[in-house]
Amino acid sequence: MHTDAKTILRRAKRRDAIARWVILLGGVTVIGSVVAILALIVGVTLPLFRQAQFREAGRFGLPGGQRPNEVVAVGIDRSVADGSLTAHLLTADGECTFIDLLSQRRLGSQSMRPESATRDKKVVSVERSTGGRYSLLWSDGFLSAVEVGIGSASEAQGQTAPYKFRELAGVAGEEGAQPLKAILCRSEDGATTSVRLFSGGRLIAERQVTTENLLGETEVKAQKLALDTTGLTTITAIAMDREGTSLYAGTESGQLARWQFDGDGNVEVRDALTAFSDRRAITSLAMMFGGVSLAVGDARGELTTWFPVRYDGKARLTRIHTLKAHEGPVEQIVPASRGRTLLSRSGNAIHLDQATSERHLLSIQPDSLVRNVGFSPQGNVAVALKGRELVAWEIDAPHAEVSWRTLFGPIFYEGYERPEYAWQTTGGDDFEPKLSLVPVIFGTLKGTVYSMLLAVPLALLGAVYTSHFTTPGLKRAIKPVVEIMAAVPSVVLGFLVALWLAPILEHWILALFVGLATIPATFLGFLVAWQAVRRFQWAKSLENGYEFLILMPVLILGVGFAALLTPGIEKILFDGNFRGWLYEAFTLRYDQRNCVVIAFGLGFAVIPIIFSIAEDALSSVPYSLTASSLALGASRWQTLWRVILPSASPGIFAAVMIGLGRAVGETMIVLMATGNTPILDWGPFNGMRTLSANIAVEIPEAPVGGTLYRVLFLCAVLLFALTFLLNTVAELVRQRLRKRFGRL
Amino acid sequence: MVLVNGLGVFWPAAIAQVELADGETVLGAWVREETNPDTDEETFQLKTGNREFDPQRMDFHWYPKDSIRQVSYPSDVYVLERPENGDFFGFLDDVQTPSLELPGEGEPSERFQAALAEVRREQANTIEPIARQLSLLNGQLQKIGNKILKLEYRNKRAGAEADASLPDDDLAQLRAEEGEIKAQSDQLVAEKLAQETALRSNVALFRTASGEVQEIPLTNIVRWYQPNAMGPAAKIKHYAAKIWELLADEPRESNTEGGLFPAIFGTVMLVFLMSIACFPLGVLAGVYLGEYAREGVLVRMVRIAVNNLAGIPSIVYGIFGLGFFVYGLGGLVDQWFFPERAAAGVPTYGTGGILWASMTLGLLTVPVAIVATEEALRTIPRGFREGSYALGATKFQTLWRVLLPMATPGMMTGFILAMARAAGEVAPLMITGVVKLAPNLPLDGQFPFFHPDRKFMHLGFHIFDIAYQSPNVEASKPMVYVTTLLLVLIVLVMSGAAIYLRNQMAKRFRSRTI
Repeated sequence: MHTDAKTILRRAKRRDAIARWVILLGGVTVIGSVVAILALIVGVTLPLFRQAQFREAGRFGLPGGQRPNEVVAVGIDRSVADGSLTAHLLTADGECTFIDLLSQRRLGSQSMRPESATRDKKVVSVERSTGGRYSLLWSDGFLSAVEVGIGSASEAQGQTAPYKFRELAGVAGEEGAQPLKAILCRSEDGATTSVRLFSGGRLIAERQVTTENLLGETEVKAQKLALDTTGLTTITAIAMDREGTSLYAGTESGQLARWQFDGDGNVEVRDALTAFSDRRAITSLAMMFGGVSLAVGDARGELTTWFPVRYDGKARLTRIHTLKAHEGPVEQIVPASRGRTLLSRSGNAIHLDQATSERHLLSIQPDSLVRNVGFSPQGNVAVALKGRELVAWEIDAPHAEVSWRTLFGPIFYEGYERPEYAWQTTGGDDFEPKLSLVPVIFGTLKGTVYSMLLAVPLALLGAVYTSHFTTPGLKRAIKPVVEIMAAVPSVVLGFLVALWLAPILEHWILALFVGLATIPATFLGFLVAWQAVRRFQWAKSLENGYEFLILMPVLILGVGFAALLTPGIEKILFDGNFRGWLYEAFTLRYDQRNCVVIAFGLGFAVIPIIFSIAEDALSSVPYSLTASSLALGASRWQTLWRVILPSASPGIFAAVMIGLGRAVGETMIVLMATGNTPILDWGPFNGMRTLSANIAVEIPEAPVGGTLYRVLFLCAVLLFALTFLLNTVAELVRQRLRKRFGRL
Repeated sequence: MVLVNGLGVFWPAAIAQVELADGETVLGAWVREETNPDTDEETFQLKTGNREFDPQRMDFHWYPKDSIRQVSYPSDVYVLERPENGDFFGFLDDVQTPSLELPGEGEPSERFQAALAEVRREQANTIEPIARQLSLLNGQLQKIGNKILKLEYRNKRAGAEADASLPDDDLAQLRAEEGEIKAQSDQLVAEKLAQETALRSNVALFRTASGEVQEIPLTNIVRWYQPNAMGPAAKIKHYAAKIWELLADEPRESNTEGGLFPAIFGTVMLVFLMSIACFPLGVLAGVYLGEYAREGVLVRMVRIAVNNLAGIPSIVYGIFGLGFFVYGLGGLVDQWFFPERAAAGVPTYGTGGILWASMTLGLLTVPVAIVATEEALRTIPRGFREGSYALGATKFQTLWRVLLPMATPGMMTGFILAMARAAGEVAPLMITGVVKLAPNLPLDGQFPFFHPDRKFMHLGFHIFDIAYQSPNVEASKPMVYVTTLLLVLIVLVMSGAAIYLRNQMAKRFRSRTI
């Protein structure tokens, strides 16, 4: 019996202890969840800012008998299917050799020699364009364009060689003079454009268009012209886009020139400027992917990108991005075929930079002389001819396009006229995603500000009225109504606001502004009238909590006046079309889903929250304070203004903070009622895109682990931080308030 | 507003036959009148149905009001609800039933009803059993496919290690079985198709207002009625039938017609699962705050955390759910239990599903449960605790035997509020597994009956989807209103009940403390 009692007691104590720990664990889990949420979303965003990495992926000694200085170009491809690395090597004697760098095997070689060329002809110069294309200039003046790469899976079937070699075009040289450099391009429609640079600065362009006439015969139209090079010093580098429509040249004294050809091969635009005031020599040029931007390397080791920008209707070549300067002149630039990364060789080092974000990703400093470099089209493998060896490096820079500047600063995107804050992830140009968070953050603030403009006065006045002016019975009725209001799902609000309110507002937008005048006016008129009525006892009794009964009709009257007056006002002042007038007078376009609509929708969602908390704070002001104030002869208004509001102000502040937090993070309403256009404009008649809507819109299409995915997590981090700040401040204020009134 | 628009949707509207000034005659249900703001013309909108006749495939049209020559309400107008192309308005001409043995004589309307009944009977007798068998076979096929995948994966792994993959009898047998079932199901499909084509040859000929004759297979008629000939009783019956359809049927026509059953089911299931995830943690943390915590830094931190949990935007929860539950936990589960499917690029738990969505919502609603529990405990007068302690009870015993039973109603209100919140929340679901049309319910007759990995439908997302992404705004409007009404009703009834309960409780304790 005695032992039984003891065991029971012991068991009870043990259970008590276990329960204590479990419950404590429950409490700590709550903190844990907040920390876990933050840790996870921050963790996902961190790789965005990680330094780029590289590691050696393979090397291969040059085949015997081949001298390193005979190699004119190297390149590499990485197979998407099995990750194999296929390097190619172009030599001066016209051979293209393919090497599997992982298994260190020579796969084969291919003669690049055109049929017309004789045995002893050598490759004199090579110009590289994106996508594994090379222009080869032979010693007899013949110019050929070739494409080198790996065969795609479908092409590889039935074909034993895993590589691809294609001669795109060839044009015979002029008698006599031998060019120094030359480029040959073949556009999609079969037209070829060649440009030859001769010593003495002579630049000859030739365009051949092959057309088929009505009879089915092919006609070759050729156009040859000498380009105007007046004012230019010795040309050191040339580059042409893939379609052969624009040609760029750089000179030894820092000049850049641009010629643009029309469809027939005539020069349309000529643009020449001194790019660098210190007249440094331009040492290499390369067209970047997309054929609009030009990468320029100079003798100072600086890399810059340029593209034509319109000023007063005339396009002028403009410097866009300046990348980190390296040591030694830039000898070679190889852009990636996708994206905006640039591989460059200067001095004895290989550098990788991202043009849009201007991030310097990495530098590889091999121990022996680097003669030539190549870059895989995806921009993930670099290859170099180092001494007598071919060396490849895997490059891991998955989020090179993101930097603090691209996220928060204005960026000069390709095709834009000035640096801008832009968010644009879908639509044609995914090679340069525009991921500025500024318009989205701006949209969030804008939506919040507009909705708070509506919600804060309404909710606070309502709370003041409910807590200190109305009758207890009414108060008991109002509070549940507000709570029910808070429970309305936001998707329902979003739907109502977007599909019901927005069209109505579009029609009655002017009435809204007229109402801003008529409602206070009727109100004032009523107050004056009331002073007269007030003398009667029945009217005075209404003043103790039932004012709303008489104010309701007044409000309705005000709204009615607005509705009545609007058509007339619109006719007289705005030609019967307010929206048209807005556009003409202020070039404000009226979108159906705009900020006013959002203000109503978000306001409706936020009002109950602000109201409840503010009402709590006001009600918790001890009654003794109110009573003593009234006893000292203060009016209700004086009591409210001098006694209640000061004591409850921290609570009201907290209410506004929490309401703000809710408005910032609300998703469905803004998603459905804003149109989700990421613009920077404070105007009340256009939409916006908020952080939360941005996440909801974009995340279903964002590939896991990709840049967009991580940037969207960054949006979530920002939202979290913003609401965390607001809520923590509010909670601290409330805790202090509770303590203060706890003492009273 | 929602009430009026939502409740009116299923009331059979009278179909007007409008003769226009240009000699055209249209049939349609009157929708609304409006003054065109640009031309100041009085116009009215008709729901004209018969989408297949309109070049833009619209079934709502505006007409100027002064072009009306005559409006009549012929009592023999039929309204047909069809699985595609929306409603059909027209007059019955004839019925042709080549594959059925029915009397060829008599009134078209009687023959129409008889033929329709016969077709439905045929459908139930011949096609539905085949369909049932087919779905059974499909389930088997899927199971065998999974087994094969598993074996192949194992072989591949073994092969990679031993560099020699052994011929596998099991695999061959499974393959043979798979082939057999496939053949069987192909045969059934062909049979079903034949039956269906035979049945489709039974058509009713309908004449539109403009006199065009349209052949409509009887199998394509989901429901028919003659609104102008209906009395109030018939209308009420029709209304009730439509409500039943709404609650119990699958959606049709990209969710703008038919029922909401999968969405209702998904919502209920979601809230149920979320409760399991949310309440234990909520109660623990609430009890901690209410009973165990002593004022200090930790408690302040917990309180700040609770308030922040309540204040974190729901979309952030969603993205957390995506990163942590779906790709984190889900990815791990896939790696451990379904490596063969993960290797084949078919995630099982590594993609959005009802389990992850409800866990996310559970986390989101935890603060509601915490606050409710704490409040409920706080309203219990000190005397009960002191009495319990005086009798020698430990703290846990006091909590378990005295406080929790007393706090239960208060906690329940909190739970109901949490459930209401969860039922109305959409944003986090959008990224953790809700879909506009789920092929299967998360709970069905296939082993293991409950599929927490499946995607699901949800009333709130349904609203978002049809209001925001539907191509035919006018046609989808009624459904949006109905869905909204349903969701608002559910949420408001729940929170109303919770608020009422709480107010009652407050009264109870007030009287006891005195």
